[in-house]
Amino acid sequence: MVLFETRGLTKYFGGLVAVSQLDMHVNQGEIVGLIGPNGAGKTTVFNLITGVLRPSEGKIIYDNKDITGKKPHVTAKMGIGRTFQMASLFADFTVLENLVASFYLYPKSGFWEAMFNTPGYRKKEEYILNQAMEILQLVGLDKVKEELASNLPHGYQKVLGVARALAVKPKLLLLDEPIAGMTHDEIAFSLRAFEKMRSQGITFLLVEHNMEIMSLCDRVIVLNFGNKIAEGLPEEVRQNEDVIQAYFGSEHAA
Amino acid sequence: MDAGLLAQVGVNALMLSSMYILMALGFALLLSVMGILNFAHAVIYMAGGYICYQLAVIYGLNQWLSLVLAALIMGLFGLFLERFCFRPFFGDVNRTIVMTLAIIVIVESAVNAAVGTHVRSLPAFASGVIRSGGVSLSVERLVTFIIGAVLLLALIFFIRKTKVGQQMLAISQDSIGAALQGINIYRVSAVATVIACALAAVAGSLMGAIVSLSPYMGTHMLVKAIVIVILAGIGSIGGVLGAGLILGTIDAFLPLVLSGSATDAVGLGIVILILLFRPQGLFGHEA
Amino acid sequence: MNVKSKLTKPVGLASLVILLFLLPVFIKQPYYIHIFIITLLYIIVVSSLRTVALSGQLSVAHAAFMGIGAYFSGVVSKELGLTPWLTIPLGGLAAMVIAVIIGYPFTRVRAIYFSMVSLFGGMVIVSLISVAQKWTGATAGLTGIPPLSPINIPGLINITFLGQKVPYYYFTLLLTTVCLLVLYRIEHSRIGMTWKAIAQSHLVASSVGINEAGFRVLALAVGCFFAGIAGASYAHYNLVLSPGTFGFLPSIFLVMYMLVGGRDRFAGPIIGTAILMIVPEFFRGLKEFAPLILGAIMVIVVFLMPQGIAGLFDQIKAKYGQLRQREVPSGTV
Repeated sequence: MVLFETRGLTKYFGGLVAVSQLDMHVNQGEIVGLIGPNGAGKTTVFNLITGVLRPSEGKIIYDNKDITGKKPHVTAKMGIGRTFQMASLFADFTVLENLVASFYLYPKSGFWEAMFNTPGYRKKEEYILNQAMEILQLVGLDKVKEELASNLPHGYQKVLGVARALAVKPKLLLLDEPIAGMTHDEIAFSLRAFEKMRSQGITFLLVEHNMEIMSLCDRVIVLNFGNKIAEGLPEEVRQNEDVIQAYFGSEHAA
Repeated sequence: MDAGLLAQVGVNALMLSSMYILMALGFALLLSVMGILNFAHAVIYMAGGYICYQLAVIYGLNQWLSLVLAALIMGLFGLFLERFCFRPFFGDVNRTIVMTLAIIVIVESAVNAAVGTHVRSLPAFASGVIRSGGVSLSVERLVTFIIGAVLLLALIFFIRKTKVGQQMLAISQDSIGAALQGINIYRVSAVATVIACALAAVAGSLMGAIVSLSPYMGTHMLVKAIVIVILAGIGSIGGVLGAGLILGTIDAFLPLVLSGSATDAVGLGIVILILLFRPQGLFGHEA
Repeated sequence: MNVKSKLTKPVGLASLVILLFLLPVFIKQPYYIHIFIITLLYIIVVSSLRTVALSGQLSVAHAAFMGIGAYFSGVVSKELGLTPWLTIPLGGLAAMVIAVIIGYPFTRVRAIYFSMVSLFGGMVIVSLISVAQKWTGATAGLTGIPPLSPINIPGLINITFLGQKVPYYYFTLLLTTVCLLVLYRIEHSRIGMTWKAIAQSHLVASSVGINEAGFRVLALAVGCFFAGIAGASYAHYNLVLSPGTFGFLPSIFLVMYMLVGGRDRFAGPIIGTAILMIVPEFFRGLKEFAPLILGAIMVIVVFLMPQGIAGLFDQIKAKYGQLRQREVPSGTV
């Protein structure tokens, strides 16, 4: 079942074409990789899907609904979670606060109940705190919960980013270079975690440079200069002439 | 409306526009090169005018010389500002703002203490009237416009043709990229600040002669400058010229039909209308 | 830590409040009481400015919203004969409504550009107030604003406000305490946390479902409501209003009070406003040199106290902690 697809997705920045007539889809339960050299437009695609950017042309369909141009907080509510390549946390918050702040949607508290500190509100906050602690324990960050998130090593920051994305109870998880900069152990841990999430019904769309992640993917889509140049099983794509050209032939990637 | 009135209003429009643009460009330079909202620009404008007054009226120097000296002095002050007031807090928005406000308080009270708070007037830089074809125009206002226009052209030339000017443009578009290319941001900032302060001082002196000198004259002009920068769209130098012209023209025409503070309100209202239809550069800006 | 340090803060605060309540017992001169009244009102305004700033929106138009509250309450009570006890909250609501209307289009404008645009917005508001004031016939200022109506419960209390400073002082003290408590509560709830999240990264915040525009408007609404309340209270104390009180320079001064006090702490606006409004009073004798004291304080703070005056304690604690660390012989830590 197709969970998500784009039709003719296009984005111009002035005269520059960042994404061009992209047709892609992700099926329920799949892990799909979106790869390509720097500047290929991968993060732009994420931004278009989540609504950070408006497409110049094309449609984005998620869960049988047209979400083209819907704002980021709306797509989040619909179950699309994402991580960011850069600047992926609340820099002045502690690790714990980062998570607690992210549990905004579920359970939702209204303005007046928060202001008057009602028992219902306090219960929700307690639940959120427990959830956050559980997640921190799961990823091994509970010891540093009072640490400023920006002080964490890069790999842990990424892990925290994924933990945060899970707070929206996503059906579709968009991960932007989730294992870039991680140590081997961290990568192994992350890959195991992704498998576990997949078995719980989450669908993945990953952006990565690292070829290691390709082994995890059911399918890989290759972009270059905003165009889809290849699609298929990881082994097929790895041997595709155009793909090799794109990665090693072109020198003028950003 | 008869030709004479139209011509006078036209000259007023040009004169106001050029002064507004001098002020707005300096402000915009600091905003785009250093990323600071320099509220102190108001008192630099004012101090420039008062210094010119001191030199010309109190010390009896030639008024044109005083104008140049005032610009030089405020330019040097700009150098001091960049080095000791802005540079230490580069990147710290909160402290930079406090610094600009401290400058306002200190310069304001220094001028008050030195000269007193009475409204004064600089003598006209040029007097007389040009009569031609039944139309009489104030020489002073024409001359003011010409000075303003010349300075603007010089500035545009400077930005386009000199290395430092190009660097200013580069920084305003992408400060990180510029730094990576080896551009010395501090040096360029210093030049920008000197230019901005000198231009403000000239505007203050010229306007001090046409209107008057008062302790709060800068506030009024600063608001105009900010309105112009908003209208122009952030980072757009050419836009400042156009927006300055529009605002100057509005402010020249409105007093004919309205009075007092209504002109302010209507002027701002027109600006809002423009922004509603063309929010270019501002609303579309994913800052 | 231990019981002692857990209690020092609430005890310190309580003593301060008690001292403030007893102030009129010790200080009798009307002028000084007046200073305290005005300072308290401005503490509300600057604290509410900080509330708006929590969401990353540094508004340079806050005095204008104080003005909306002031003029709305003043005009409505004067022209319609309603009691200020009713029109003051209405003034707050008026300021809030205008803030929401004006604020909504600007929710995509961020950081320094927001400050610029807010300045513009503030000027528009003040111009409109000037024009409206002319229509009511007042040229120099709006006069004849009714004072707070007397509180008269037969047999129990009879308080008149007209011409009396002390009742106004207690009213303002009570008002300030309530407003600060509410602002404190909101900030430390999930609402405040969400505002701070937006300020740190609007991208991350929206990725977890936070509606940035909605929360920014909410911050404006809450902040401007309290600014309006303070402004309205000011109107019924001063009994005279002029637009200049709510213009560009006052708005900038509000920002100054907040920043010098410390933007990152709740006590920042309180300390900043109190110090910057009261200390210059001691130097009145210096006449035209008095503002230089203000300037001197600002320069000292900006160079020596990165977190403002309110952060001074933590700054010293951190320095002291560093010094102590060096004294401890290695192997012990």
